Amino acid sequence: MGTEADSRDSSLILLKQGAEARVFESSLVGRRSVVKERFSKKYRHPILDSKLTLKRLNAEARCMTKARRLGVHTPTLYAVDPVLHTLTFEYVDGPSVKDVLLEFGSVGVDKERLDNIASQIGDAIGKLHDGGLVHGDLTTSNMLLKNDNQLVLIDFGLSFTSTLPEDKAVDLYVLERALISMHSSSGGVMDQILAAYRKSSKQWSSTLNKLAQVRQRGRKRTMVG
Amino acid sequence: MGDYVRRHARTHWSYPSILSSIQSTQDMKSFNINGTTLSISLFIDVTNSKELLESMQAGTLDPEVAFLNALLIPDIFPVLAAAHKSLVAKSRDSLTTRTLHSELVYNYSGSKHITESLKRCGISDSTTYILAARFDATPDEIKAIEKLISGKEIDLEELEGRANQSQILKHYKISAPELGISSLADAITCRIAARDAL
Repeated sequence: MGTEADSRDSSLILLKQGAEARVFESSLVGRRSVVKERFSKKYRHPILDSKLTLKRLNAEARCMTKARRLGVHTPTLYAVDPVLHTLTFEYVDGPSVKDVLLEFGSVGVDKERLDNIASQIGDAIGKLHDGGLVHGDLTTSNMLLKNDNQLVLIDFGLSFTSTLPEDKAVDLYVLERALISMHSSSGGVMDQILAAYRKSSKQWSSTLNKLAQVRQRGRKRTMVG
Repeated sequence: MGDYVRRHARTHWSYPSILSSIQSTQDMKSFNINGTTLSISLFIDVTNSKELLESMQAGTLDPEVAFLNALLIPDIFPVLAAAHKSLVAKSRDSLTTRTLHSELVYNYSGSKHITESLKRCGISDSTTYILAARFDATPDEIKAIEKLISGKEIDLEELEGRANQSQILKHYKISAPELGISSLADAITCRIAARDAL
């Protein structure tokens, strides 16, 4: 066996391919797992490329584990490989919130279930934000329902730490836009999420005030003057 | 056969590498970590930890074994995650400590402080509850290890019930909110995995 092959399990099944990374299913010492590999960008200078990749890999590992310390379900991190640029974590079995909401759109809304999902989302985001963590990519496909009901947040690849109401408001705004474009049939779900957020976050007032401003202008700030 | 082994054998039957991890030589359990085996046994009422510590520090321990303070081990999985990490480092000639076995103890601690890690997660003069582990042990070496330790060998299933929760919470700095959503074992595993990213 080669030295590099030794550091990961042999059976890798490609699950998803994105712009920044590939995601595989594998197993680590007996547990079903997911391997997220950040690949190099050929158009970048090699030194810059490896520095950026490594920095983002480590940041993702830090943010994932920080979220857990704040009491938010994320997959258990099993391994970080700075040479192969991979993260290995728990395989979470269950549909994404996106799948469930789309199903509501086609076969009708399960009101009780929707309430429960919305309140879990608001509660989780409130905990992250109060702990100074901004997810950065809150979409319904980055939220899984483990065993069909426990909300688990995934993909901390764009996460960062911040205490600014601006950053938190943009985090919520991204989710709001995603919900409007994908799930118009589950109308009012954002209001339910924000209601749960208000209960969960002690700093809800400044964040939601900011959110009102962000809605007026969009995600990007105007940098005039 | 420990419950852990059985449970995962059932869930992961489709992975050939896992099937080979289910083998028991006498009382010691062996786990397959990407082609390397890790043999593990657990002892209570150990009376010669002072001797073990001395021969380990003198480098005369034969065969070489990793001794872990089992009070900090609520489940075998984090030990396997630490072993996996040690083997990857070894394959790249980038061990932080002197040997693969001391690396296992260091990695299990989830901390970057080597001396402190070996002190807390390894054994002291007065330790009576020990987990012993050796990579790629031959049957003869397994016999030798069991002879080395004066204590009573027990099943790995007893780890959970015998772990010292408050010591674990303190050592790994596990907060109440985290404990609300995570098992002790998963919280430890995350710290082992993320240590070098911090």
